Amino acid sequence: MINIKDIEKTYQNGKIEVQALKGVSFEIEEGEMVSIMGPSGSGKSTLMNILGCLDTATSGYYSLNDQDISQASEKELAYIRNKEVGFVFQQFNLLGRKTVLSNVEVPLIYSGAKKKERIKRAEDLLVKVGLGHRMKHYPNEISGGQKQRVAIARALANNPSLVLADEPTGNLDTNTGEEIMDLFQQLNDQGHTIILVTHEHNIAAYAERTIELIDGLIQRDVVA
Amino acid sequence: MIFETFKIAIQSLFANKLRTLLSMLGIIIGVAAVIAVVSIASGSQAQITSQISDLGSNLINISPGISSGAGGQISRTSADIFTLDLGKHIEKNSPNVKRVVPTSSASGLLIKANNNYRATIVGTEADYQVINKYYPVKGMFFSQYDVDNSTGVIVLGTDLVEELFPDSEPLGQSVKFNINNSTQVFRVIGVMEDKARGLIGDLNSQAYIPITTFMNKVSNSNYVSNFVAQAVSSENAEMALYEIEYLLDGYISEDDEYNIFSQDQLLDTINSVTNTLKLMLIGIAGISLLVGGIGIMNIMLVSVTERTREIGIRKALGAKKSNILFQFIMEALVLSSVGGIIGIFLGGLASYSISQIGGWPFVMSTLIVLIAFTFSLFVGMFFGIYPAYRASKLNPVDALSYE
Repeated sequence: MINIKDIEKTYQNGKIEVQALKGVSFEIEEGEMVSIMGPSGSGKSTLMNILGCLDTATSGYYSLNDQDISQASEKELAYIRNKEVGFVFQQFNLLGRKTVLSNVEVPLIYSGAKKKERIKRAEDLLVKVGLGHRMKHYPNEISGGQKQRVAIARALANNPSLVLADEPTGNLDTNTGEEIMDLFQQLNDQGHTIILVTHEHNIAAYAERTIELIDGLIQRDVVA
Repeated sequence: MIFETFKIAIQSLFANKLRTLLSMLGIIIGVAAVIAVVSIASGSQAQITSQISDLGSNLINISPGISSGAGGQISRTSADIFTLDLGKHIEKNSPNVKRVVPTSSASGLLIKANNNYRATIVGTEADYQVINKYYPVKGMFFSQYDVDNSTGVIVLGTDLVEELFPDSEPLGQSVKFNINNSTQVFRVIGVMEDKARGLIGDLNSQAYIPITTFMNKVSNSNYVSNFVAQAVSSENAEMALYEIEYLLDGYISEDDEYNIFSQDQLLDTINSVTNTLKLMLIGIAGISLLVGGIGIMNIMLVSVTERTREIGIRKALGAKKSNILFQFIMEALVLSSVGGIIGIFLGGLASYSISQIGGWPFVMSTLIVLIAFTFSLFVGMFFGIYPAYRASKLNPVDALSYE
């Protein structure tokens, strides 16, 4: 499903060039749950952004569902972000002026779904993540764990083949974090491919495979 | 999709009500100013035009000009050809002219007992009433008999009666007119109606005496200041103009100059002056609209910076460049169109109030409303595109990590 070869990423930070990724290669099969670990500055978030088509690699090859992403146009990338990838962020990144329900609707608006379908789909997803009773609330009226559930429901809106989670429990207490991880586990059991970035070993332990990055290079790639 | 974008725009504008209002203010004021300026100018122009037409578009004014002196001669006015006979000559020989009325005027002091008033005294004939559509309310105007016999009668404008006869009956009384240290006595035989102050000056503060009396006692001259000719109809006014020119050219020597213009020409001149003025004012109002547009751009740029993160989130969720571009252009358009509509209402209200105060008709043309509205949309669009473009080309990663 995912195939990357010799991915390199260089940032221009003022006058200094920072090489965040120095040639990373791996394959991920459909239905896998993979955690990417590493200390801060190891390049794991950069890798995540490239996998999620939020950023492009400086060099190397990346194919997602047999499509060559390194050659994709900006419009195609937007389409992939909308349909093929669901993103869950550490800071939740909900739109504060929209209700929980409208937040989940956003990807459906960009995919051109009709209003009735959108609401039906968003409601179904919110019920699925256990927030059926909070649909009309605004993000600042619900707890962090609930926010992350909304973000997960939103990530699933267009039923993407790949769900990416960047430190999804980073802003949550341990118990809530475990609840969220259970939810990811469930999604994986239902067939979603999940990649999560974390620096916590107990969170990484939810995944059957762990890729460890240090200084922009793969240190270890182990299947539990 | 368009509806969704529109909804997003409305929502984000409502989220910052004060800022939205402030950024609209420029457009509101600009549009209101354009509407008000055009409406007020059109209204007062319509009033001036109707005043001139009231005077009769078939009137032609003939007055002496200044001739340059040939061969070292002193230049002189050609006033000394403007005799009463010249008027009769035109009246008799120009088929398109119905009547010719001579007028002369002088300024002096009108005195009654302890009251005095600086007034213009006009020497003319009985037909002056017909030409100016101006009649006495009390007593009567002087007749041809008075002109033929150069009698000492006077007809007063309403203001003069108020000043000179605050609490007595003017008819039959005598007033003194003092000019150049000589004093003449006249008997009041009529009081003219109250006439709105218009283009031809304030008729209410004038007094009228027979032209012959004026020439004998006031100006001591054989000549009159000017003639007003009335064509048989307004359609014939131009023909009458040519006939008079032809007659004058035959009657006087080549060196003698004269001025002749019809009411139509006067109307044209005034219209072209007011139109120029109107354009200038629209230009100034237009500049304020432009400044309003810059205000919109300013706010939009702030808004884009402030919402960088939102843009990043939307892009991460699949928004295309065009979606973001469209969203921000839509916001600018909503801002400018709502501002435009409010401006149209305020401008209309302002010009209506001013027209009530100024006493001219309220004129608001659909065309200028459309133009002002379209222009405000255009301004919103123009100044909204750059911020929207900046928003749309933000890199999703950079936008997401923006604090």
